[in-house]
Amino acid sequence: MVLYSFYIFDRHTECIYARRWTPRPASSGTAARPQSGSSITSNGDAAPTRKALTHSDDEKLVFGLVFSLRNLVTKLGGDDDTFLSYRTGEYKLHYYETPTRMKFVMLTDTKAPNLRQYLHQIWATLYVEYVVKNPLAPTEHPMGIGVANELFEAGIEAFITKVLPV
Amino acid sequence: MSKLSSNDYLTLAGSFHGMHAITARLSPAPAVPNPLPASSAPSPFINRPTGLEVLESSHFRIQCFQTQTGTKFLLFTEPQQPNVDTMMKRIYELYADYVMKNPFYTVEMPIRCEKFDRGLDGFVKVRG
Repeated sequence: MVLYSFYIFDRHTECIYARRWTPRPASSGTAARPQSGSSITSNGDAAPTRKALTHSDDEKLVFGLVFSLRNLVTKLGGDDDTFLSYRTGEYKLHYYETPTRMKFVMLTDTKAPNLRQYLHQIWATLYVEYVVKNPLAPTEHPMGIGVANELFEAGIEAFITKVLPV
Repeated sequence: MSKLSSNDYLTLAGSFHGMHAITARLSPAPAVPNPLPASSAPSPFINRPTGLEVLESSHFRIQCFQTQTGTKFLLFTEPQQPNVDTMMKRIYELYADYVMKNPFYTVEMPIRCEKFDRGLDGFVKVRG
C-alpha cells in the first residue's frame, strides 16, 4: 500500500497536522506541454494556465471536499449515515470523524482497503494519548501548536510501518 | 435512502459536479507517462486525472461514470453490490441506444424516453 498524505482537521476547520510522503510536482504535465494553437484550450479547459497547488491550498481543498461530501452523504442517507471513503482513478481518500468533529483524512493508492478503523486507532491510541493527555499542550490547537510533538510523530511513524496493512 | 425534493437533488448534483472537479485536482500521484507510442495521434483524454469514481458511505455506495463528453452517470447501490462497473457499461449502452439515437431528443435536456425507462427497469429487474 502506498501512502500519499495524512491530515487532521479540528472543529474550527483548521488543519492542525499534515504529513505528506510525496512532493507535489512543481508543474503538472499539461502546463509544461507547448501549446500548438489556441484552439486546444478554447473548449473551456483552463487547466494549462492554472498554477500548481501549494500545500496549504491542498489542505483547504481537502477540508472543503470532505465537509461537502459528508453533508451530501447525510442528506442522502439520513443522519446516521457516515461518509467512509472515495476513490478516483489515481488515489483513494479515507475519512474518519470523531464525536468532537475532528476529522482524520488519509490519502492512499486505490487498492487500499478501508482504513477507517486504523484512523480511529490513530485517534484513540496516538492523538488522545500524546496530544490530549499532554499537560503542556493547549486545549485548542491553532496553527497546529502542540500536535506535532516528538512522541506523536514517532507514534505515527511506528503505526504506519507496523500496524497498517502492507 | 431518503427521498428529497427535486430542488434538493439539483443542489446536490451541482455541488457534486464541483466536488468531482476538486477530486481530480487533488491527485497526489505523479502523472503517468503516456502509454501510447509517439506515432499515434495525441488525444486530449489521456493523462487527465479522473475525478471521483466510487464514493462509499456506511449505508450506500455511489458509482460515478463520466463519459468522454463530460456526462456523468451516478449509480446508487448497496455497499456490497458486485459488478457495478459492468452494470454501468450496460446502462451507458442503453443510454446510447435509446437516448442518443432518439431523433426527438435534444442534447443536454432532461431525458424523457419511454424506451430508455423501460430498458433500464428491465435491466435492473433481471439483475435483481
